[in-house]
Amino acid sequence: MKYVIIGNSYAGLSCADAIRRFDKSGDVVIISDENYRAYARPLISYYLEGKTTDETIWYKEDDYYEKNNFKVMLGKKVVSVDTVSKKVVLEDGAKLDYDKLFIGPGGTPFVPPTEGFNPDSPMMGTFTKFDDAKKMEKAAKFAKNKEAIVVGGGLIGLKASEGLRALGLHVTIVELLPRVLGLALDEISGNITSKRLNENGIDTATGETVTKINLDESGNPESVILKSGKVLKADIVVVGVGVRPNVGFLEGSGIKIDRGIIVDKTMMTSVKDVYAGGDAAVIYDILNKRPNIIAIVPLACEEGRVAGTNMAGVYREYPGGMGLNSVEIYGLPIVTIGLTNPANESQKVYMFQDENVYRKLVYDGEVLVGAILLGDIAGSGILSAVIRQGLKCFKYKDEFLNGNIYSFVIDSEFEIYNINEGYAVRGDFEDLPEFSRTNWR
Amino acid sequence: MQKNLNKNKLTNLKEDLKKNQIEIMLYPSKCDGCESEGFAACVKACEAHMGKKYGSKYTGARINIKKKSGRFFPVICHNCEEAPCVDACMPGARYKDTESGWTVTNYKKCVGCWMCVMSCPFGAIERMGGGHFASKCDGCIDEGTPKCVEACKKGALKRIGIKNYSYERRLMVAKKIYGPYIKSVEKR
Repeated sequence: MKYVIIGNSYAGLSCADAIRRFDKSGDVVIISDENYRAYARPLISYYLEGKTTDETIWYKEDDYYEKNNFKVMLGKKVVSVDTVSKKVVLEDGAKLDYDKLFIGPGGTPFVPPTEGFNPDSPMMGTFTKFDDAKKMEKAAKFAKNKEAIVVGGGLIGLKASEGLRALGLHVTIVELLPRVLGLALDEISGNITSKRLNENGIDTATGETVTKINLDESGNPESVILKSGKVLKADIVVVGVGVRPNVGFLEGSGIKIDRGIIVDKTMMTSVKDVYAGGDAAVIYDILNKRPNIIAIVPLACEEGRVAGTNMAGVYREYPGGMGLNSVEIYGLPIVTIGLTNPANESQKVYMFQDENVYRKLVYDGEVLVGAILLGDIAGSGILSAVIRQGLKCFKYKDEFLNGNIYSFVIDSEFEIYNINEGYAVRGDFEDLPEFSRTNWR
Repeated sequence: MQKNLNKNKLTNLKEDLKKNQIEIMLYPSKCDGCESEGFAACVKACEAHMGKKYGSKYTGARINIKKKSGRFFPVICHNCEEAPCVDACMPGARYKDTESGWTVTNYKKCVGCWMCVMSCPFGAIERMGGGHFASKCDGCIDEGTPKCVEACKKGALKRIGIKNYSYERRLMVAKKIYGPYIKSVEKR
């Protein structure tokens, strides 16, 4: 059996591992358009800060590919996929046969139309690849006024600005929405986050966009003009607005694409023997109850694993995922899970706030559908498990808000573990959540 | 004859420990949080040992005793198969050790993104803000009896092979659901 995997990152490697678990002898070829072996892509901002280095940024151990007998093709770009004769066409004209194909191409950065933006300039660019981080590291040395503009206040933008700040630049985040992390946070938590950023030398210009980048004679940025007419000095301009699924090369292959790659429950695309996963796949969003692209690492690994298992001939279904994310900004940990801003009137919001801690829960009836934790994130995994399983837990509302999230685990696990004392009252297991290691997935 | 039978029994603990994956079993009803001593013995033992094992930067207990209305529960890694924390780990610091079967952490790679803290359904991974790393129990798999098990005088923690682990958990779940009808559980 010949397996070909496009994409050498979380989804692709998780898929390769799953294949190897069930098929010890099949040929596995992993294709990547970058010249590095698998690295931790979200960590490129930590690379600028020095928290991860050239030695520790690699995602897998050094002998990972040889040990698992994976053939890896680095620096090869896939230009098209011929699903009729089952071939993958590379940029240099070479053709690869496959029996089963996995597509995990991830996303390409999206750049809103901005006058003067030129990604080839050494002082401007996007921020999603290792090369981008290395470029910014160099650019910071040449910055005359030590001023940087980051367009986009999402996760990419925040981490990019934190990285640039660590290189000694003064950073301004320009965000279209009224707050940073606008889709995940609400007003209160957004303000706390902005305050923390401002205290550490990162300015935020919210409700703004960059309309024009003024260039000097060598094509490097000098200043930017905002929508409000304000002019800000800029040596470096980074655009981190977001990513779009990298699916351009699939045109004409017959694979159904609607924003991302459409997959079924087994992660197979509309074409037989072609599977997809990761940031480019449209999966079922269990909270919004509709197909959605959710571009986060844990789901990419899960999707890759389900796809790989099916490719190796063992049937497995993917139940769908939900959005959740975690980030730390200058010592302030932030966890957002599920629907953090109520979508309709049936959803009720409960909040707790004191000096250092902010907690927000969104309930839909008795079911918890979303949460924001700021400052104190202990036990946040329990909340994400509760939300993912859709458990009724309204009676825990006050304990969750006060930070006693563990009480849920104690209640649900204690009875199961209780071997010596009394019997659990028959019937009470109905309102106790099913909560054990076998039930998580 | 009896000796032979015992040897071949699947849940013979000695054989199980020798051949199979090692797990830490919990008996929460026996845990009293060491309230009379003023500190939890397992937590203290773990904290001291982790400092020695991983260096002072990565100290901190990997086990925690949580209390709710007089009941105590040791919060510790359950060593999930297909662990959510491994999936969530962006730097690839957490991985499944294929030999011991345990989910372990390479703390040198950990950058403190707290993705695993957000994913652990048992809340067993803790954010260490000072050292900026996420601490998780590694089962002390490479060094005999874990220090927390050694320290627990109440019998709430036990080093056990995976066959015994699954056997006992199965009985527990069965007993919880069909309580009065299952009487075959041995007293320990």
